[in-house]
Amino acid sequence: MPTARPQAPPKPLRRTLLALGIAGLAAPVARATPIVTLGLTPVFLDSDIVLVRQIEGHLTARLGRPVQVVKRRTYREVTSLLVAGQLDAAWICGYPFIQHRDALDILAVPLYRGAPLYRSYVITRANRAAATLAELRGDIHAFSDPDSNSGFLVTSAMLADAGTTPGAFFARSLFTHGHRNVIRAVAAGLAQSGSVDGYVWDVMAELEPALVGATRIVHASDPMGFPPFATARGADPALRETLRHALLTMPGTEDGRAILATLRLDGFVPGSPALFDGIAALSHRARAAG
Amino acid sequence: MRALAPRRWPLALRVPLLITLLMVGVAGAISKLVLVRLEAVQATHFEELSDAYLDGLSTALLPAMIRRDAWEAFDALDRSRPRYQAVGALLVLVVLPDGSVLAASDPLRHPLGAAAPPEAEPAPLHLEPSAATAWIHRAVSEGGVAVGRIAAEVDVTSLATERRATLLALVGVNAALTLLFALLGWLLVRRMLHPVLRLSERLGQAAEGRLQPIAEADMPPADTEEGRAYRRYNAAAAAIAEREALLTRLAEEERRALVGRYASAMAHEVNNPLGGLFNAVRMIQRHGDDPQRRQRAASLLERGLTGIHNVVRASLILWRGEADARPVSAADIDDLRLLIESEARRRELVLDWRHEMDGGFPAPAQMVRQVALNLLLNACAASPPGGRVTLRAAVAAGALTLEVADEGPGLPAEACALLLDGQAAQVPQAGGLGLWTVARLVRELGARVKIAGPPGSRIIIRIHDAERGTPRLAA
Repeated sequence: MPTARPQAPPKPLRRTLLALGIAGLAAPVARATPIVTLGLTPVFLDSDIVLVRQIEGHLTARLGRPVQVVKRRTYREVTSLLVAGQLDAAWICGYPFIQHRDALDILAVPLYRGAPLYRSYVITRANRAAATLAELRGDIHAFSDPDSNSGFLVTSAMLADAGTTPGAFFARSLFTHGHRNVIRAVAAGLAQSGSVDGYVWDVMAELEPALVGATRIVHASDPMGFPPFATARGADPALRETLRHALLTMPGTEDGRAILATLRLDGFVPGSPALFDGIAALSHRARAAG
Repeated sequence: MRALAPRRWPLALRVPLLITLLMVGVAGAISKLVLVRLEAVQATHFEELSDAYLDGLSTALLPAMIRRDAWEAFDALDRSRPRYQAVGALLVLVVLPDGSVLAASDPLRHPLGAAAPPEAEPAPLHLEPSAATAWIHRAVSEGGVAVGRIAAEVDVTSLATERRATLLALVGVNAALTLLFALLGWLLVRRMLHPVLRLSERLGQAAEGRLQPIAEADMPPADTEEGRAYRRYNAAAAAIAEREALLTRLAEEERRALVGRYASAMAHEVNNPLGGLFNAVRMIQRHGDDPQRRQRAASLLERGLTGIHNVVRASLILWRGEADARPVSAADIDDLRLLIESEARRRELVLDWRHEMDGGFPAPAQMVRQVALNLLLNACAASPPGGRVTLRAAVAAGALTLEVADEGPGLPAEACALLLDGQAAQVPQAGGLGLWTVARLVRELGARVKIAGPPGSRIIIRIHDAERGTPRLAA
């Protein structure tokens, strides 16, 4: 426990210390040990320990150093750890990358269906007749995470374009901290509609057809930059290059292909910040609307 | 209907029935006790299971309830569902202190923010035996501050199913045991009653005049109850057979004595007219040419021979020893006078013969004549010289009344008991068989006896019409 924490420090400092404390508890500090830490935000695999072990095993072999995957409940926790240098790399969403563009570098961007792009879906229950976002007014709406592009920002920007906000448009909204949870909430009827990562919805439709079959897409956004792997700008350059190489050449190895098959990805491309300009624009529109 | 009364049922049926009734009663009481106990145990187990379930659930839900995080609450409920499948929770509601639903296991029925249903209001646990579900509740608080409550509707049909299965098992086992015990009871009672039934059967044969002793080969050991009973029966059978043989011998002796007496009486009756008859024969021999004398002598001969004929005929009828089942007639009563007159004369008695019978009466003539003759002989024997012996015979209201009276000292008490009840304290001695014979015949005729006197004695026998089918009982 962070018992030696100073009383009432300035807020930014306190947040940093808190992040340091959490990282110190859960994961060893990379620079103090030879372990490489890789942050993972909740994607569609809620607690797939097998996949985590596969990634750890694959990267450990490729890097010649032990690699440990670090998972956190929210995007913000993972992003904070990454920005603070408590993680060597992390698979984050495009929206946090835009928010911390000055502090982060893109390591690699996954290829989904041949392109480093994905969409955001607004979904509702399968037996509901709504065809547009406007018809979802007054719903209980499930978001994934306040720092998720597809699970929050896209819908917020669309509502901003319509001159409203989620708080005003929806009767009530809730954060489920996971795209899979958004689908569960809508399928069970806890929420009447939800904002979800299109890649997750598509893959889950294949993996859990009964669950996803209880929902349907009301609106699909334009393609946007796929959630990238990123490192802190001040990270060890040699490690960064080794990691990038391991990711870009993952389809060249057998266990790498197995991991990619599980994730339904084709591989990785180097990517560039410009890939996320669309998300930046959405952020700007949403922020402008207040 | 009296024959169907339970008291008349055989023991071999009554005892198993009693066992069955007792078993049904005991089984019913035990079943009730078991079911009540099972219900109490089920309630206790259900309460413990519910407590454990709510403990786990409230622990998982507490952070979400404190933060009022609908998703976290729903997520906890959703994840707990497969883990607590054995509890059988059909619906779980997480209710905020204001009564609104924070999360429900079925959000479509109970959406976020809706008012909780009345069933979810806190209430003590009550398991209704016939109910399919029961509501369980748990108030959740943190640091003494209420943060909400959890209410769950739980499927309790498994409890009723278990009770029904237990009841069926109890009924099945108890019914099987009852049948088994009833069968065993029947077999045991039959086995135990077998010697008694054999004895009863033998005694039944005795009532028909056949008191057969039990063969030595069929005799149970002497040191058993049935062995002792069988031996006592054989001893009684032997005693009765001996008594019967004695009575038969005595009766035969009496009959022979009677025959002897009446042979002499008849000889006297035949001899009396013989002098007159010889006179008549001599008159015919001497004065046969005189038609008047011859006619007179022939008439004397005819009357004398008729008298002899009547005496012989009456004696033949009385003593031929055959059963005479024809109805008694007035002539039968008149014949008796012929038979008794010589005895009356010998004793210098006056016969008062009042006979009002016109035709016959449907009662066996042989038996009626024997009754009357024995009573008349008894009256003659009891009367002092010069006394009067009376006979009355009349038919009225479907009954024949015979009345024999004398002026003797009256019947001794033992004779009265014999005639009235057919009870003899001891075997009658030779010479006392007349009244014993009357008593036997009276019983066979089903007649009633009435006795008056002293002074003198008057015996009234009332015989009812056998053809009317009415019992021959009259006073």
